[in-house]
Formats: sequence, structure tokens, C-alpha cells
Amino acid sequence: MSDNHSRQSDTDSRTDESNPSVETDGGEPEPGEPRRGATRTDGGVATGGPTADTDTDYLDSRVNIFKPSTPFMRDHLRIVWTMFAAWAVFVFGPVTATYLATDFMTSVTVLGFPLHYLLTAIGAPTGALLLSFVYARKRDQLDEEYGIDHSGGATTSDAESEPAATDGGADR
Amino acid sequence: MTFAPVPLDLLPDALNASFKLIPAIMVSAMLLLFLGIGYAFRVADTEDLWVAGRSIGNVENGMAIGANWMSAASYLGMAALIALSGYYGLAYVVGWSTGYFILLIFLAAQMRRFGKYTAPDFVGDRFDSDTARAIAALTTILIGFVYSVGQARGMGLVGIYVFGGDYVTMVVLMMGITVGYLALSGMLGATKNMAVQYVILIVAFLAGLYAVGWTQGYSTFLPQVEYGALLSSLSTEFTEPFSSGGFYLWVATAFSLIVGTCGLPHVLVRFYTVESERTARWSTVWGLFFICLLYLSAPAFAAFGTDLYANKVGEVYGANGMSGAEGDVIVVIASQLANLPTWFVGLVAAGGIAAAIATTAGLFIAASSAAAHDIYTNIINSDATQRQQLLIGRATIVALGAIVTLTALDPPALVGELVALAFSLAGLVLFPMFFLGLWWENANRPGALAGMTTGLLIWVGAVLNELVLATDAGPVVPVYADLFPAVGAALLGTPIVFAVTIGVSLATDEPPERIKRIVRQCHSPEPMGQQQSAEDVVSADGGQVSTDGGRVSSDDDHPQGDD
Repeated sequence: MSDNHSRQSDTDSRTDESNPSVETDGGEPEPGEPRRGATRTDGGVATGGPTADTDTDYLDSRVNIFKPSTPFMRDHLRIVWTMFAAWAVFVFGPVTATYLATDFMTSVTVLGFPLHYLLTAIGAPTGALLLSFVYARKRDQLDEEYGIDHSGGATTSDAESEPAATDGGADR
Repeated sequence: MTFAPVPLDLLPDALNASFKLIPAIMVSAMLLLFLGIGYAFRVADTEDLWVAGRSIGNVENGMAIGANWMSAASYLGMAALIALSGYYGLAYVVGWSTGYFILLIFLAAQMRRFGKYTAPDFVGDRFDSDTARAIAALTTILIGFVYSVGQARGMGLVGIYVFGGDYVTMVVLMMGITVGYLALSGMLGATKNMAVQYVILIVAFLAGLYAVGWTQGYSTFLPQVEYGALLSSLSTEFTEPFSSGGFYLWVATAFSLIVGTCGLPHVLVRFYTVESERTARWSTVWGLFFICLLYLSAPAFAAFGTDLYANKVGEVYGANGMSGAEGDVIVVIASQLANLPTWFVGLVAAGGIAAAIATTAGLFIAASSAAAHDIYTNIINSDATQRQQLLIGRATIVALGAIVTLTALDPPALVGELVALAFSLAGLVLFPMFFLGLWWENANRPGALAGMTTGLLIWVGAVLNELVLATDAGPVVPVYADLFPAVGAALLGTPIVFAVTIGVSLATDEPPERIKRIVRQCHSPEPMGQQQSAEDVVSADGGQVSTDGGRVSSDDDHPQGDD
């Protein structure tokens, strides 16, 4: 609980410095909006649910991959784009290097392989696998940070929610 | 470049095609096992048929992803492409493995949250259009068709080794078995089967690789790396970069396979079968791990096979070199040339058949649900009973099986290339819709229709230009073939489709608020129930604010629609 709170204030101050109302209006500044503070106190403390993100209404937060509108989406996309860049280097780096510096890449030998063959045939798939693992780990950590629990969380939230949601879920 | 039609009249000389008792028993036992598992898990209702009741866990789903994924194109075609086209063949290794990462970071969890049965269902509901649904469903069926032709060719060629006989008989027999088993079992059986199929195919492939490497003195414990030492003694065609395909073609092929991976309906449906989005993510990691086991081994197998062929049969490259049909079974030929016992070669062959059947099963399921669920139920007869849907689904499987069998009798390309065509199609038509649909809430109906039509036209143009209407002199319009090679049309094509979709979306009205809210729900970190979809959450909400199971009660008074 206390962890969540300190993390949350971090997020808040960061948000306020950069863009005061970034999560509601897709980047059009609307300073002095009172909602955030008030909601956070209620949502976080009064009901005792996952504190981290109850102040964000995801159904009112625009979805645009270049303009993340919620703290969660911003944190998530930072991971996504960083890892995407690393992935692009693993995948298209070796072949581009081979194209640009053919003699070097084909004459250097590592483990018996010409360097271009090693980096392409083994480097790229292994790199993608490692990146996938790292991403899934980071995403789990992000979930934890935001108090998201997929194991018991889903069923609990079902049980607590209004009947309509349960019906909607069971409806085939 | 490698698209010269491959004559199929010649049987691989090195293959020793004849009826072999023990391999025949092994293959038959394996097929009976699949049918048995399919029967044991046979299904009676559509929920089970399509998404296996959303009951599948991490590792099992990872194996299913692997088996579903690793078709004859991976088991047989990958080594063939590496052996026949050298460094260019590695574009297939890279494209078919690394694409899963893009799927993982951009699509898997959001798709799971959207919670639709099928890819066309996603497109139809997201863009709120039955026309879009129909185009996506037809694309799904087209992908299943093109892709399965490659599988049928692979099964037929391997079948010749095991049962003797001719290619035509074998294709008909193998496709008959696949269709029979599928019509019986549906998706639950198929998912259970896929874990078994994965184990069979990976064990067979690795056992073959280790045995060939060991007996021929190529390798000991890690052939996936040890084959490096062999490379310098092979013909220069094997490693020389850009000898059989230039830099552009290499990148275009890899790119097409990557975006194709993210657009393939039978791959995406695997994310609907898991219990939560966390499982969707981790099963992708497991799936990629299982895939890498094979994809790191295939180049080694190709190197061993090429060396054995050069030593024992003759020239690999050049006019009298290895034929396309021989290349497509190089994995089996390598085991044969290494003088491994017949039963062992039979095991390797059985793995190839398992791979082909598993993937054909997944594709036919995707195509049949596209026909029964998306076209029949949603467009033609909205009151369809489950019985009618199952009937339509099974009829589709049988009809598709018949057309695939006919086409596979004289296929226009190598197994791997045929399959790459399907990827190119998925990357052009479906991937942009998935990506924009999930990551840009303003993508709308006219945008999707314009984009999908553009993608289809680019693909059909490339295939007509390079394969169907092409003569011995080459493609009809060489410039078009250079820019949009049939196996790599997505490199230029997908950005065009993106631009068209975005441009038309901006020029027309924004999608309704209801759709936007569904998209937003896909990006909310709040956990959702196992059987919930984003639409359920949004509509259960009555159009009001709270989405988190009613925890936030103080939000009612905050301004709505503040945009």
C-alpha cells in the first residue's frame, strides 16, 4: 500500500511537470483541472482496491500509439518502443551491415561461421527470443507496479462487479 | 527470383521411394493417434470448436503455437530454402521467428482483451461493418487455401518416401486424412493434438539432426552451432550473401514474413484460447522458444544435407543440381544419405507429416469459422443454430480440402515460397487492420474498407504478375515484380495500406463513441474476466464511466466527453 502510494506520487509529479492533463484530453493542455486529486483520494483509499490507477478512467482516455493518454500507457509504450528499436537492430542490422560492408562481414570468422551468417542465422532469432522474455518480465513488473493481478484479480473483479458485468461475461 | 515453376514429374532420385513397412506403420500409428485424440476431445458446441473454452495454459498454448506454426514450410521448406537459395533462405528463418516479438509487444494482449472468436470477427466488430467482416473472412479463407497448398505438397512428397506410390495418390490420401480428422474433432481436439504434434515433430527433427551430425562426424552435442565449421567446405553459394536474391528482396521477404506473422488468423486465434492476457503474453514467449528450437536447427540440417548431397549424389547448384522436389525433402534425404536405419528415416518423415497436418488443421479451422461464423451467421442467416453453424463449418473444411488437393497436384513453387505468399497476403490485408484497429481509435469503417481493398489489389497484382500470368521470360511487368515481389510485397505495400487507411479515416467521420470505448478498454490495465470481452465491459457499463468492476464510485460527476 505504501509502496503504491509513493510510486503514485512520483507519477503524479512527473505528469504535472510535463503535461498537466495529459491523460484526459490527448495532449491539449487544460491546466488546473481538479479531478485528478479528488478522485485519487477517493478511489485509492476509500475502497481499498488496487490504488495505483483508480484515478484514471480508461474509457475516456484516447488511444493513439504516438500520444499515450494515461500514465500506464505511457510507461508501457516506453518499454514497447525501446524494445522495438532493439529488435529492429537484431533483425535488420546483420543484413544491412552485410550489404554495406560485404567484405568485412563475410571474411571475419567466428566459431567457424562467417560473421554475417552467424549474426543472421543465430543472432536474430535468439535476440528476438531474449527480447520477448525481457518484455514479458518488464510487463509483469509494470502490472505489479500498477496493482494489476491477472491470476485472482480477474475472478475477484467479476465477483465484486455489478450483475450486468457478470451476465455480459457469461453470455455466449 | 526463385519462382521458376518446379516440375514435379521427377521423383527425388536420392530418396529411395518405395513402400517401407516400418515407417508406414509408424506414420499410420501417428495418424491414428491424432484421430484418437481428436475423437476423445470431440466437440458438440461452437464455443469449444473455436476457442477451446478458453481453458488452455501457458506451456500447452506455447506448444500449440509452435505446432500450429511449424508447418511443412518450417520442417521441410526451411531447410530446402537454405540449401537451395543460400543466404537468402535465412530471410525466412529471421522473418518466421522474429515476427512473434512484434505480435507480443503490439497485438497479443490487446487482441485477447478485445475477445473475439476470429480475425474477421475482430475486423467486422472493430470497424462496425459487415463488408469489412466479409473481406476479412474471404482473406482468411484465401490465406488458408494458399498456405495449405504448400502443406499438401510437403505431405505428398514425404508420403512418397514412406508409402511409395505416386505424388497424386499421396496428396489425395494425406489430405483425406487431414480433413477427416478435422471434421471430427474441431479446435479443442486440435489444441490437445497440437501439443502432441509439437512433441513428435521437434523430437523427430532434432533426433534426425543429431543422428546425421553424429554418424557423419559433423557434430556432437550442439549441431545448431557446430555446423559453422562445415560452412567453409560447402559451395560458396551456401553462404555468399545476395547471390540468389538481392538486399532489397531479402529485406522485403523478411519484412513480409514478420508482418504476415502478425496478421495470420490461425496464429491470432491461439490468443483467444488462453485464460488471461498475461497467459497470452507468456505463451507467446514459450511459443517463440519452441519455434526457435527448430529454426536454429534447420540451417544445420540444411548444411549437413547439402554436404551429403554434394559428396554422395552430385552437384548441388547449377543446371544439373538439386531439384526443387529434392530440396523440399532435404531433411529426409539427409537422413537417408547418412545411412540411418529405415525406421529412423521413417521417424523423420513422420515428423514432417505431423507438422503439415497440425498447420493445415489450424488453417482449416480458421477458414471454417470464417465461413460459418463470420459469413454465414453474421451476414447470411443471423438466426443460425449451432447445428447449422457446425454443418457449414464442416462443409467448408471438406470443400477447402478438395480445392487444396486439386491445386497441390501441380503447385507453382517450393513449399516455403507457397507459404510465404500467404504471409504476404496477411501482412498486406489483415495486419494493418489489427494494428491500426487496436492502436488508433480514430481508424474507421471507410478507412478499413479502402485499406483492405488496396492490400488485396497489391497482392493479387503481384501474384498474377509473377506466377499466374508470368511466362518463361519472367514477370509480366518486371518493375512491379521488383518493387512488389510476390513473397515480399508487404515491404512497400503495408505502408501504402497504412497510409490509405489513415488518410481515408481522417477524411471521413470519426468512428462512434461506442467503438472508441471498446478500443480504449483494450488498453486498460484492469484485469478482465476469463470469458469477458472489451465489448462486454463497455456495454455492461451502460455507457457510463466506471469500468473497473465498480470500484470507483466518485467518478460519476466528472465531465463526459471532454473532447
